[in-house]
Amino acid sequence: MADTLLESQPDLMLDIDKSEQGDVRTEEMLVNMGPQHPATHGVLRVVLRTDGELVLEAVPHIGYLHRCAEKIGENLQPYQYIPYTDRMDYLAGMNNNQAFAIAIERLAGIEVPERAKYIRVIFAELNRIASHLVALGTYGLDMGAFTPFLYMFREREMILDLFESTCGARLTYSYINVGGVHDDFPDRFLDVLEEFLDYFEPKIEEYNQLLSYNHIFVKRTANVGVISPDDAVRWALTGPVLRGSGINWDLRKSTPYEIYDRFDFDIPIGLPGGSERIPRSVVVGDCWNRYFVRLVEMEQSCRIIRQAMKQIPEGKILANKLKNLKLPNDEVYVEIENPRGQLGFYIRGDGSAIPSRVKARGPSFCNISVLNHIGKGCLLADIPAIVGSIDIVMGECDR
Amino acid sequence: MHHPRQRPGKTVLLTFALAALTCVTMTSAQEPDFGDVGFEFPPEPPPQAADTPTEFDGVPLSIPGGATEALLFYLFGGTLLVSALGVCISRSVVRMATWLFFTLGAASVLYFLLGAAFLGAIQLIVYAGGTLILLVFGVMLTSKSPWVRYDCPRTEMAAAAGVAIVLFAGLLTLLTRTVWPGTAPMARGGTVAEFGKELLTTYLVPFEVASVLLLVVMIAAAYLARQDR
Amino acid sequence: MTQMSVPWRPRGKAKFDGPAGMVAGGAKTVFAIFAPFVRAFPGAIMLSAVFGTIVAVWAHYLLFEVVDIALIGSTFNIPANTGLLGGPLTVEEARSALTQIGAPAAGFLCYLLYPVQYGLVRDLVAAGGILGFISVIPLYTIWWERKVAGRIQSRTGPMRVGGWHGWSQSMADGIKLICKEDLCPAGADKPLFKLAPYLAFVPAILAFFALPFGTYWVFRQLDVALVFILAMLGIEVLGVIIAGWASNNKWSVYGAMREACQMVSYEIPMGMALLIPIMCVGTLSLTTIGDTQSGGWTSWIVFRSPFTFAAALVYYIASLASCKRAPFDLPESESELVAGFHTEYSGFRWSLFFFAEYAAMFVVSGLLVILFFGAWYSPLPLLWADGLGESLPARAVKGVLFAGPIWFIAKCVFLLYVQIWLRWTLPRIRIDQVLYACIQVLLPLMMLILLGHTFYELLVPVGGVVWTLFNLILSTIGAVLMIGMLFVATYGCWNRVRLVGNLGRELLPGS
Repeated sequence: MADTLLESQPDLMLDIDKSEQGDVRTEEMLVNMGPQHPATHGVLRVVLRTDGELVLEAVPHIGYLHRCAEKIGENLQPYQYIPYTDRMDYLAGMNNNQAFAIAIERLAGIEVPERAKYIRVIFAELNRIASHLVALGTYGLDMGAFTPFLYMFREREMILDLFESTCGARLTYSYINVGGVHDDFPDRFLDVLEEFLDYFEPKIEEYNQLLSYNHIFVKRTANVGVISPDDAVRWALTGPVLRGSGINWDLRKSTPYEIYDRFDFDIPIGLPGGSERIPRSVVVGDCWNRYFVRLVEMEQSCRIIRQAMKQIPEGKILANKLKNLKLPNDEVYVEIENPRGQLGFYIRGDGSAIPSRVKARGPSFCNISVLNHIGKGCLLADIPAIVGSIDIVMGECDR
Repeated sequence: MHHPRQRPGKTVLLTFALAALTCVTMTSAQEPDFGDVGFEFPPEPPPQAADTPTEFDGVPLSIPGGATEALLFYLFGGTLLVSALGVCISRSVVRMATWLFFTLGAASVLYFLLGAAFLGAIQLIVYAGGTLILLVFGVMLTSKSPWVRYDCPRTEMAAAAGVAIVLFAGLLTLLTRTVWPGTAPMARGGTVAEFGKELLTTYLVPFEVASVLLLVVMIAAAYLARQDR
Repeated sequence: MTQMSVPWRPRGKAKFDGPAGMVAGGAKTVFAIFAPFVRAFPGAIMLSAVFGTIVAVWAHYLLFEVVDIALIGSTFNIPANTGLLGGPLTVEEARSALTQIGAPAAGFLCYLLYPVQYGLVRDLVAAGGILGFISVIPLYTIWWERKVAGRIQSRTGPMRVGGWHGWSQSMADGIKLICKEDLCPAGADKPLFKLAPYLAFVPAILAFFALPFGTYWVFRQLDVALVFILAMLGIEVLGVIIAGWASNNKWSVYGAMREACQMVSYEIPMGMALLIPIMCVGTLSLTTIGDTQSGGWTSWIVFRSPFTFAAALVYYIASLASCKRAPFDLPESESELVAGFHTEYSGFRWSLFFFAEYAAMFVVSGLLVILFFGAWYSPLPLLWADGLGESLPARAVKGVLFAGPIWFIAKCVFLLYVQIWLRWTLPRIRIDQVLYACIQVLLPLMMLILLGHTFYELLVPVGGVVWTLFNLILSTIGAVLMIGMLFVATYGCWNRVRLVGNLGRELLPGS
């Protein structure tokens, strides 16, 4: 099997220095991790060149979930394309809807009602929490801790219940639409949301006790897969992966879109070990920091939601004049802060109702490129730790 | 082949057969414990083996079970021979190791049949449970592909055959010339304690020499395995 | 339905003939008969099962006593070195023995009694009992593991099969596994692939043949029981390695390599930890070691000295590693190696690995109980039972309250529970950390403990002031730990609604 793989992919045969390994040399092995593997979070395929447990090279191969998402966008009207954005990053459907909707709104010059903006922020942040819950839970699962996963999914179910009560869907919402949102909150929604936040915030401390500060978990993730700040910028990493390397960059703060400039919140970044709330063995840019940035982001999202709940006005939820929307002969590129990083949409209109070009910049796609860089020289068991801490969604990576 | 082979029945049967064989072996390997069964508390176990009566009220007590033992001896002796042959003729190194496992296991069963439980157990733990695993482990780590073949050059085979023939002749001579006692030799009870005492009194020097040898081997292995040399 | 578009030929209903059909049909019949009863009276059935077991054991015991008295007499000296087929006595000898006790015309009776005489029946019953026990342990430990995992994870675990808390879930799984296709991957080393599950399973059974459940509740009272059991645990690994190797799957090879690496290294601290009770008692016979701990809580070897206390801890950690339980479950770590060494196995062969694993879990727990935690004796000193006398009911009371297999099994089950608890709580450690923990932490620690214990035994007189002081302190620590655990469990159960929060209440089972 090894031989055929080598023959079919000669580029994998990089320079193997045989002299440095002494005379009792163990054989190198090419192992396929994925596309069906429990730790690759979907259909990522990583080709590992290993020497025993040591990974010499980890090359990600993508494209198993390619569905021509961009090309489809060039054949549909924007509101028809919204459901396809759901299916890109299927764990953060709201944020994807939002990114595409904002891009079209900027292109077509649509003014979104105030209430709709608040609803968008509330749902985008709720979805950020839900997405991070999946990321953190499955990360624990990758480390062999089964129980936190189920606790986090229990809380995620509640968020999905909230979504379902408003838009009827639990995963592919298609709720945030061009010009606003589809439906208003149901009765008592804000009360239930507040009840949920009151319930949820103490749970974050529970996750800390269960997983974050668990000795074995820290041992497994601290100082593993370290991305230096320089590298993080050079590989165009975004989102928690970038912030885990200690770079304070979050589009919600640095170039606020929608109404994020009206809220008071902090941007968590990776910190060296020994700082407040950080275990001693942790270094900036390691897996533990990336994990913890997500955890703190959930707290901050709660803060944003609480403020938005206080400020939310009454009023319309959808802009006027959306019938027969013609896109101007212009182009726009909009990036927003997805749970996984910066999701960008480039759209060019040509005067018709259908965009002539749709291009998405997916955070998972860019972030996974760093895998080989940091996966070199780590152990086999670190590969799931690294892949999990980068937190990719293959639906968005392959599009 | 659209229809998969559905043969779990054989698996089930074979499992139970193996388990039953296990029972038979264990049953005859050791003297049964005739202590009471039930909720009773430990009196001294009845004296055994030392003063076995040879007759009872004039009726000679034959030792039953001899036939079973003989049967088992031939069974496991045969297993030993067949698996030893398997070690020689199989080409895959891991299969060799598996055959070797059966060889060592059958040898330890023979020890058990002789009543030398300690030797049998040590044989199992050191050779079958330790050395063999290390061997397979080493093969896995250093092998070129998962299917290691071991092809012996003809010259080596001839040399080995010569050595084997000489050894076999020697053993045969020994076997035919030795005067064997009429009954099978049996180890006496309480072997472990006596064994330990002997090791630490009469045979202290060889015992220590062996441990020094092992220490030397260990240091040498550590020297060979170190990173930079 | 999308059934029409499936390109494969639709398979007919699977037919099972021969032994597989018999097994499946039998199990279904048993289920059909028992399920309604279990559904109706779960508690009563559990109680009556316990009671019935005790009664059956008693009937068994009485039979032995009657046959012994009738055939052999109390003074008869049994010839040693008897085998299975011959039994302790030949028919001739039985006739002569019966003539002795005044039953002259017992010709036919001899033939009748011959098959039920003590040694033979005992062996058959014990072997059957052990095989049955080994079949039941995984069945119910797996069910229990799923229930415990469910509770830990704020869900219920199996609830449907059989009615009462999914009591027959494992049986249903067993039937499913027996009926599944027996796959052998292309390119696998077929003979080895098929042999490997047996190599894992048979040693696990064999270990039980030397494991005492009580002073006389042991199949063979081996002089070297401890070494024998350790050897069996070691051989079980060989099955795993060969399974991983023969599967023609690189993940399986990784699993096998990890297992070999882990097992070979953890056997050393494990064996050294086991040396400590051997040094205390001076024998390798598990029965004798167990019998020295009849004096109640303080006489348990774990509380004998600080070194035995530490050794018990080291042994427990090493035993987790040796039976591949979390956090040492690297050979089958799902997120790294798919399923490790059993990736390619299916059906009954796959289940054999699980039988072996759960049997090994019980065996290592049993060793810990026998060597450190008072074996089959209760925390009450056996001396207190002296006034009860030797009548049968008194013996029954003693058996339940002071000593007996029930205590042994209860302690083992508690340790199994701890293993399950750890598994669903802790993440998995990495292979380098596993080896670091063994070679750089446990091994030197164990050497120190061994040395310290040698000097402790040598210099501190048993029963002296220092000895008694340490014994009392350690016993108190143990008691406090035990009571604290019970307290925390009770507190958590009592406040479960508050602990999980308001919104989670609806999702919390049992609230």
